[in-house]
Amino acid sequence: MPDYNLRLIIPEIFLFLWALFIIAFDLGTKRKNPKLIGYLTMGGIAATAVLLYLYHGGISFNNMFKSDPLALFFKVIFLGSAFMAVGSSFDIIAQKIKNHRGEFFGLVLFSTVGMMFLASAGELISLYIGLELTTIPLFILAAYYKDDRISVEAGLKYLVIGAFSSAILLYGLSLLYGLSGTTDIVMMKINLALLYLNTNGIGWALLMAIVMVLAGIGFKLALVPFHMWAPDVYQGAPTPITALLSVGSKAAGVVAFMRIFIDGLYGFADAVMFPLDWGNIVAVLAAAAMILGNISALRQKNIKRMLAYSSIAQIGYVMVGMVAVSELGVGSVGYYMFIYLFANMGAFAVATIFNDNTGSDSIASYAGLSKSSPMISAFMAIFLLSLAGIPPLAGFAAKFFVFAAGIQAGYTWLVILALLTAVVSLYYYANVIKMMYFAPDNPTIKLNTPLSANIVLIIGVAGLIIFGVYPEPILNFALDTARVFGF
Amino acid sequence: MFETLFPILFLVGVAAFIAVAMAGASIVFGRRTSEGAKYEPYESGIKPKGDTRGRFPVKFYLIAVLFILFDIEVVFLYPWAVIYQKLGMFGFVEILVFIVILLIGYFYILGKGALKWE
Repeated sequence: MPDYNLRLIIPEIFLFLWALFIIAFDLGTKRKNPKLIGYLTMGGIAATAVLLYLYHGGISFNNMFKSDPLALFFKVIFLGSAFMAVGSSFDIIAQKIKNHRGEFFGLVLFSTVGMMFLASAGELISLYIGLELTTIPLFILAAYYKDDRISVEAGLKYLVIGAFSSAILLYGLSLLYGLSGTTDIVMMKINLALLYLNTNGIGWALLMAIVMVLAGIGFKLALVPFHMWAPDVYQGAPTPITALLSVGSKAAGVVAFMRIFIDGLYGFADAVMFPLDWGNIVAVLAAAAMILGNISALRQKNIKRMLAYSSIAQIGYVMVGMVAVSELGVGSVGYYMFIYLFANMGAFAVATIFNDNTGSDSIASYAGLSKSSPMISAFMAIFLLSLAGIPPLAGFAAKFFVFAAGIQAGYTWLVILALLTAVVSLYYYANVIKMMYFAPDNPTIKLNTPLSANIVLIIGVAGLIIFGVYPEPILNFALDTARVFGF
Repeated sequence: MFETLFPILFLVGVAAFIAVAMAGASIVFGRRTSEGAKYEPYESGIKPKGDTRGRFPVKFYLIAVLFILFDIEVVFLYPWAVIYQKLGMFGFVEILVFIVILLIGYFYILGKGALKWE
């Protein structure tokens, strides 16, 4: 038997089997116990995290599967986002989804397995398969309210855009394979450098590959100009799934970007390689994302659309750290995504709870919430202020490190723009807080939260406050991931 | 560069020439009529009736999709069977894992009642 080092994929195998078990269990018990299934799913995710702690570090399947610090770090983010998405979906499961509860949780877990394989991919084909396994369950989940037109529209839009972007990505990957003669990312880096030194003929083919891969991953990241699907899909999908899309799936896109661009195309980041450099293209896209995301968010009346545009802007900030292509750059991007997990999942969890109790998503209906539900209003304020980057919350430290990386790499114009748009973003985040605290009272319902949603909210707030005051342990862990790329 | 690409360019040229020549020849020499049967999807086929949005029970679709799923399972078994000797025990365990996963799916669709016709 060939040595595949199966030990390293035990967490993934366990999570996959657990998803099958959840689906079968729900069917076997005649769908009587929605709560029990939810807690079993959360327990399975927690058990996977323990297994991940026990079995990591090494290479298996001939370098196709790498269990390195980068993969470990992002897998923690994926498991965290799945855990929080499942935790905040208990009321939806109890009220709106009657027939396919086990499948809902099972598909969330399948998608998480895909993200975990993606984070570990050391090779283009396994990376692509990981990406597909991430997105295909999400197509179904986005359309989960079968009788709701907006939800079905969201699922269909996401399916079409997702399939389209996968095809573009695959073209780009095949060009990279054609140029380098290998799908192994590290070998690809070496072969591309050799090819560049030996010939002058690779110019346009490599540019095509860069643009296509960037477009393919840009769609997954909702990076401007590939963002058009995001607001509609975010609005229509069930809110916990929107949260999973905006954190888990986005972090998966970020790690795919790191593997292909920062590792595989490392030599072509710098502007001296013009016109074959990707650094400046990505910097321009990041600038566009920050401007368009923040300005469009100002006008939104629906909290999910507002958070969708805000997440477009947030990915712009992430890309500031990415174009730095340095130890601090990679580390700050990891740290940013980690903090973004708490803030965004928390904000979406509050939106979920609010929708479950009132049936409304509009920002205006949050008026006077602080009177009837002071705790949840305070939590929401913390999440939004962290997204805006107000100290001492963790969002401030995250933005600080990302911008520091940008300055260090010489992208001063980009960082100045990011600071200006961050000021703009404060307006729409604060607008929700103004509604909750200072708007004239109108009769609001007291929000009832299930225990699991309270756990999610407490995790979110605790993460933001603890890592805001004391960022060192996570930051060191994040900086450690940069070793993977040899920084 | 050009020498290696020349056969492909030649092929593209020949293909373009044939296409243009055939279409052009039919324009120049062809007889043009525009009545009745010309406007039907299949000029000499059966007469179309009804529109394309006809409805039929979803049961057919379900059965077809499930059939394809398990059909593909069998297709995967062929290459495995061909090199069974080389793969040995390892291949046997792998295909067993594959079949067990599909078997769970089979019990799932049985449990859902997807195969009940009534």
